[in-house]
Amino acid sequence: MKELSLNILDIAMNSVKAEADTVKITLAETDESFEMSISDNGCGMKEDFLKTVTDPFSTTRTTRKVGMGIPFLKLAAEQTGGSFSIKSKHKSEYPDAHGTVTRAVFNKNSIDFTPLGDIVSTLVTLIQGSPDIHWVFVHTCPRGEVSLDTDELKAVLGDVPLDNTEVIIWIKGYLEEAYAEMA
Amino acid sequence: MTVNELVEKCGFKAVSMPRPEREIDGCYIGDLLSWVMGRAQEDSVWITIMSNINIIAVATLTDVSCIILAEGVTVDSEIIKVALEKGVNILLSDKRTYETAVAVHELI
Repeated sequence: MKELSLNILDIAMNSVKAEADTVKITLAETDESFEMSISDNGCGMKEDFLKTVTDPFSTTRTTRKVGMGIPFLKLAAEQTGGSFSIKSKHKSEYPDAHGTVTRAVFNKNSIDFTPLGDIVSTLVTLIQGSPDIHWVFVHTCPRGEVSLDTDELKAVLGDVPLDNTEVIIWIKGYLEEAYAEMA
Repeated sequence: MTVNELVEKCGFKAVSMPRPEREIDGCYIGDLLSWVMGRAQEDSVWITIMSNINIIAVATLTDVSCIILAEGVTVDSEIIKVALEKGVNILLSDKRTYETAVAVHELI
């Protein structure tokens, strides 16, 4: 994928499909590295299935459960000299603490590092598509921080749904402004 | 033109050839796999320099007639094993990507 935000969209959609009610997207940047972590409290994966998700062939059958997103993200991280990991606890074994954490670390100085791209559109798409999920987004970098927590928004909005057009436009504007301040 | 004939005429080295009689129709060039996945046409020759396991999956999904690894890129025996299993033809070319594409173009 040409932009990391598309990888984030893809991985977060796995969390949606896993019926998570909370999804946390954390981006932690230094001058040298870029780390992304997407954690959810969805149904999780059993160990046998987890072993196969980075294998492109567990995913290319007609009945595939996940796309090529994970193999591509792993490749994108590793080709910068970074790393990739995915940890999961399935609800059958961990009824009270299930979920998945996908983590990728990139070396920003590598020529093969893909830029983050349009993260604001990614977040807006996710929130609009699944307004009932509690979305937590934190992006820290040496210049500052951008964050959004949809539960905090809901507390202010009361009965107004999160996918209300005006709310979505406000979220987009808020994030764009926060990024502009950090730049 | 079949993949088999392409190998004979262009001098590419076949390292995986489970389906030599596949017909070739067109050519696609690209290294960003997600991009290739959405754009390479069925039966095309796909020229790339990427040689990790994901190329086999992309070739399967797009149903290209063969992958040509250009610029003298080589491929691990593990990947060749998977390619044979999945019915993916892989050819190696010492030529640069452009010259490889030109050689393919002259024949198809």
